[in-house]
Amino acid sequence: MVSLRGGTPPARSPWRGGGWLATGIGLLLLFPLSSPDAFFLDVFTTGFLLAAFAASWDVVGGVSGQITLGHALPFGAAAYSCALLTSFAGWPLPLAVAAAVLLAAVVGAGIGALSAPLAGPFVALLTLALGEIAHEVAVGHTFFSGPGGYAWGGEGGIPVALPWRDASPFSSYYAALVFLCLATFGMLLFARSNSGLILRAVAGSPITAQASGVPIARFKRLAFTVGSAFAGAAGAGFVLHVGRATATDLSLELSFQAATFAAVGGRGTIVGPAVAAIVLHVLFQGLSLPPSARVLLYALTLLVTLRFFPRGIAT
Amino acid sequence: MSAEGITKSFGATKVLSGIALSVAPGEPVGLFGPNGSGKTTLVNILSGLLLPDAGTVRFDGKEITRLPLDARYRLGIARTFQIPHPYPALSVREAVRVALVPRLATRAVNAGKRKDGGGTREDEEGPTEDLLARTGLFNQRFVPCAQLSQGCLRRLEFARALACRPKLLILDEVLSALSAADEGDLMELLRAANRDEGTAFLLVSHNPPLLKSLCRRILVLEEGRIVRERTV
Amino acid sequence: MASPLPQVLLDGLFAGGTYALMAAGMALILGVVKVINLSHGAFFTLGAYVAYALAGRGVGTPFAAAPLAAVIGFAFGVFLGKSFVNPVRSHPFALPVGTLACALLFEQAAQMVWGPHPLSVAAGAPWIGPGGLVIRRWGVIAFLSSAALLGGLKWVLSSRPGLPLRLIAEDEEIAGSLGMDVEAIRYLTFGGACAMAAAAGALLSPSGAVTPTMGRAPLLLSLVVVIVAGMDSVAAIFLLSIGLGIFGNACAWFLSPQWSYVALLATVCLLLSARPAGIVALAGRRD
Repeated sequence: MVSLRGGTPPARSPWRGGGWLATGIGLLLLFPLSSPDAFFLDVFTTGFLLAAFAASWDVVGGVSGQITLGHALPFGAAAYSCALLTSFAGWPLPLAVAAAVLLAAVVGAGIGALSAPLAGPFVALLTLALGEIAHEVAVGHTFFSGPGGYAWGGEGGIPVALPWRDASPFSSYYAALVFLCLATFGMLLFARSNSGLILRAVAGSPITAQASGVPIARFKRLAFTVGSAFAGAAGAGFVLHVGRATATDLSLELSFQAATFAAVGGRGTIVGPAVAAIVLHVLFQGLSLPPSARVLLYALTLLVTLRFFPRGIAT
Repeated sequence: MSAEGITKSFGATKVLSGIALSVAPGEPVGLFGPNGSGKTTLVNILSGLLLPDAGTVRFDGKEITRLPLDARYRLGIARTFQIPHPYPALSVREAVRVALVPRLATRAVNAGKRKDGGGTREDEEGPTEDLLARTGLFNQRFVPCAQLSQGCLRRLEFARALACRPKLLILDEVLSALSAADEGDLMELLRAANRDEGTAFLLVSHNPPLLKSLCRRILVLEEGRIVRERTV
Repeated sequence: MASPLPQVLLDGLFAGGTYALMAAGMALILGVVKVINLSHGAFFTLGAYVAYALAGRGVGTPFAAAPLAAVIGFAFGVFLGKSFVNPVRSHPFALPVGTLACALLFEQAAQMVWGPHPLSVAAGAPWIGPGGLVIRRWGVIAFLSSAALLGGLKWVLSSRPGLPLRLIAEDEEIAGSLGMDVEAIRYLTFGGACAMAAAAGALLSPSGAVTPTMGRAPLLLSLVVVIVAGMDSVAAIFLLSIGLGIFGNACAWFLSPQWSYVALLATVCLLLSARPAGIVALAGRRD
């Protein structure tokens, strides 16, 4: 029973993965200096924002084990509130962004409160339904206006009043990259903290965690709140980049993409889903495939990954 | 802890009828009963996993009948499981730490009040390593919980339960089906906790010699009623 | 001017009775395979598109299309069950997300093949009942077919051929030790349930527009029915489906189709928040 092997820390140093990560970030920093097409810079910029979104899914679905299929809800809620507050209420941009992230956190707390008593697939079902309700409200042609009229900006979405005229692709790229690094760093800190440890315990064996004095519901709500706050930040960033909030920011397809990134990149690692998001998004979008083909490819990627790599390709 | 009038039925089957018992501070009590007598149901009710149909449970003078498992742990009532459900992704050290987090938080706050720059790693690791050493898991501390043997899983249950310095330990068949070495170690651990820290315990077992050697008072449960009470 | 209420009730009755076929399929999957199949709606859509394709080739009624739809649904269902659902069953993350992936995959494929615009399947002349009540012929056929199939299902489940299914739903280990090929029964049941969904889709295809995402609402409806009515009583499933069909139709008529979908979504959320005994039983079986 007494073995020296169990008394030594695992051989894999936590910094070995860090080496790869540093290299990757370095490459991404240098990439624009090779004068690529503005199109590719834009693809990467969106990719960085989606990566932050994917990492925020991992806080809820990977670290805490709560499978959410409605993560687009805080993302889109932040996007829409940014747009509405700046365009209709005339708020200055920084204030609107702060309010948007706060709203996303509150939405997350609400989702967490509703799903805390539920287990596994029912959490997925509830979050899916909540996300779809929000999506329908945003799309709702005939909700707030007569048939044939457009509500909530209609097809074009709701614009964001930006203080800058035309952001250069370079500054967008670097801003998004910096945001991604900061957000991921923050989420990693959270995951490695005592709270993160407790969340992993709740995910692994709720009964043992309860018998260790952990108030399960409170921590589940915490996971959703933190994950949704970061999702909201990503959503605000996204809408600042694109300039409009549209109903696809709340769509089931977007929620599904988050789950796919996490499945491919390795659930629970925070960094894995972010990397997977960048790789997959740049690949699919860079090839200029039509949107329905992209969703199809995401679905196929997920199915193949789940079938043959249940723990994620990266691990 | 004291309980009165505990009654529980599952559908048409009445499992417990009017159970009354008490455990004084620091008192080692045994609960003996054959399979099907309702032992585990009673343990679940006393530890907060189940609500009784009728009856009350009191602790330190306060009524706790409806208090859930985690709240009771924070009050000082810890329980072990007959079949542990270990965390699949955590190491032994991390599993113990989960139970220690509230204690660690207080230590960090106290350490921060000292003028030496806040909690050091030593403050975090100290209590964890103490517990691991007491339960004989120190050399296994980096092993993932899922890979532990049954004996080590039981030790881990002990470590988890002792983390809050409980006033009352409720142990559900924790010493059954173990190797002699494991059983001996854990018995000594239990005696030490009772002797040195004044931890009361309610030990559920179907092994009479074991109960006689550890407990001062033994309750006998049969078909949902306490039929006998013996003082050792 | 006669109140539209009887018409709404009748159409809802027909639709709900046919949705019961889907709900029963969902109950079978939940009970025997023990997973939540989020691709169930996609099979419904598949059935509708099969009916559309056949109508395009001039093959009679949706009623004729239903058996073909069922066969295709069965084939795909068995394939899905064997290659994905069975191996991945034990991973709690993989199932809902994976079946959702299948649903999205099918939606996008359908959109690529047939386009996103609503298509319609010819309905045939209806009968006119008292007070100008329009009795749609396909509606009657769909309702009767569904009732007949469900009656057959109930008979199968309560007699000898259904014994393996009931046993696996209760206790898989016992079923396995009795020599039953649990794996095969699982994917065959999965295929059968998907066939039922496809048949329902074909039967109901004249009711409205055939679009790639039309299966989402029926999926939610099946889930609501199974959560509330449980998995044990075919009759309860049938009645509740009719009730929801009428409710959904009323919403769609008096408000709008979007409201009907949102009402279903809200019902799912309310049910899951209120946690009726159905969920507790379903969650309990998982352990």
